Amino acid sequence: MPKYLLIARDGEEWETFAAQATPADIEACIGRYIEWSERLRSQGKLITSEKLKEGEGRVVRAERGAVRVTDGPHVASKEVIGGFWLFEADSYDDGVELIRDHPHLEWGTLELRQIEEF
Amino acid sequence: MNDRATDHLFRHATAQVVAALTRELGAHRIDLAEEATQDAALKALDVWRFQGVPSNPRGWLYRVARNRALDVLRREANYESKLAQHVEEHATPAARRRGESRDAPPHMRRWTPPAVGEVPFDDAELALIFLCCHPRLSPDARIALTLRLAGGFSVDEIAAAFLAEPATIAQRIVRAKRTLAAVDDRVELTDPTDTAGRLDSVLEALYLLFNEGYDAHSGAQLVRTELCNEAIRMMRLIANDPRTALPHAHALLALMLFQASRLPARVDEEGELVLLADQDRSRWDRALIAEAFHHFDLSTTGERLTSWHVQAAIATAYAKAATWDAIDWKLVLMLYDQLYEVEPTPVVALNRAIALAHVEGPKAGLEAALPLLEHPAMRRYFLLPATLAAFAQQLGAAETATSYYRMALRLPCNDVERRFLEKRLQAVSPGTPLRDIPVADILP
Repeated sequence: MPKYLLIARDGEEWETFAAQATPADIEACIGRYIEWSERLRSQGKLITSEKLKEGEGRVVRAERGAVRVTDGPHVASKEVIGGFWLFEADSYDDGVELIRDHPHLEWGTLELRQIEEF
Repeated sequence: MNDRATDHLFRHATAQVVAALTRELGAHRIDLAEEATQDAALKALDVWRFQGVPSNPRGWLYRVARNRALDVLRREANYESKLAQHVEEHATPAARRRGESRDAPPHMRRWTPPAVGEVPFDDAELALIFLCCHPRLSPDARIALTLRLAGGFSVDEIAAAFLAEPATIAQRIVRAKRTLAAVDDRVELTDPTDTAGRLDSVLEALYLLFNEGYDAHSGAQLVRTELCNEAIRMMRLIANDPRTALPHAHALLALMLFQASRLPARVDEEGELVLLADQDRSRWDRALIAEAFHHFDLSTTGERLTSWHVQAAIATAYAKAATWDAIDWKLVLMLYDQLYEVEPTPVVALNRAIALAHVEGPKAGLEAALPLLEHPAMRRYFLLPATLAAFAQQLGAAETATSYYRMALRLPCNDVERRFLEKRLQAVSPGTPLRDIPVADILP
């Protein structure tokens, strides 16, 4: 079955939510994400899901024959990849159906990309 | 994860992390403990939504919060040593001889973290409850601080529960913390005499907290179950720790459990108030009743007879009877006589009058309750005219009953109680217009 990478980017709504979330809000929010992941897992579709470490990273480029490493990427918060899921789906249509009710849509954007396989 | 029970798990986990950190850092660092825990909670929010909840969520939160607190302290220590170096370089020879620059002021002393081993979270939480209920704080401040720190409630949630402005509650908490930092830096229960002496101020605050939830003086919700649950949860910690499990603590817990056991039967499906006499006893929580009897037994070992002992004894009489009619009213009346000796208040006198009416009839009840109308503390207590109305009704005096119900409706009570009184009024005097009572008189 084809594999898809689901990339989550947090929007400004996320910052606002996190800034004033009570323990009950936090618990409820985590619960909704986990519920979504668990549904995929119970259908045997979820391969993995991870959170990327925030506020750091390295950008590596070759410049004039030398490898140049810089800290980054420094981009606006809404463009930062927060985390991802790797799962199986029949097609893009099927994948989009699976993420239609994803809780992340309340706070950011989702990008779905198919993994090349031959 | 979405249900209420787990929602509490997270709140309690963060509260226990605050407790453990406060114990390590000292009461003057409550703010740091809170901020570090809040940071850890946000980290959890960010990471767990992708990676799931770790097997030991509380330990995870504690580790992250503790590292965060350590970072802050290290930065402070670094600043402090730079400051000391600066002073050293610019100090006068005399000051240098006195060694002034070498000793950092006590509030800036370095903090060396102990190694992280097994963290006794329950123990830390109990110590934090004792700190929050410090006798130097007013009961109001104790309750607000306990709910905030040991309960993990937000300021807004506490304000909503007490129908207060969030700013008022926030201010109360800030002042309470300042007082604590000044009077007591220890977050420990070590000395048994000290612990026993301070237990009363803890029990008093938790009793008020429970009643606040149980009585809910005004507003739409009859039972703010959350407050009751929180009081019971903390009382269980106290009653299960050998250092604090004194007989009157068992008595208070028994009383809370008996009352809480009836909560499911106290309002019907439509949210209407159901009197004890009319409650569906199959809806009483049997597990809570069993636990209540257990603690009641443990409460009878001491010398001291508290109001909680007697109140719990009265509750056992209700719980033991299979039906309302099977209640041993003579025993209940005797217990109310005893309660009045320990706690001679008009509210106890009113309850005694109700028991008396069951033993000797409504006329005796009415005669016992009538003088209470003169009592200044009872002027705004709607249950007094409501009780008088019920007695009058039983005696067939519909007109008197009507005027007492209308008197009750003019006093402060919550929406559920108001609907109950209106229904009673309609029953005794059908067609009485309710709306002719000026709104200004109805509102508390």
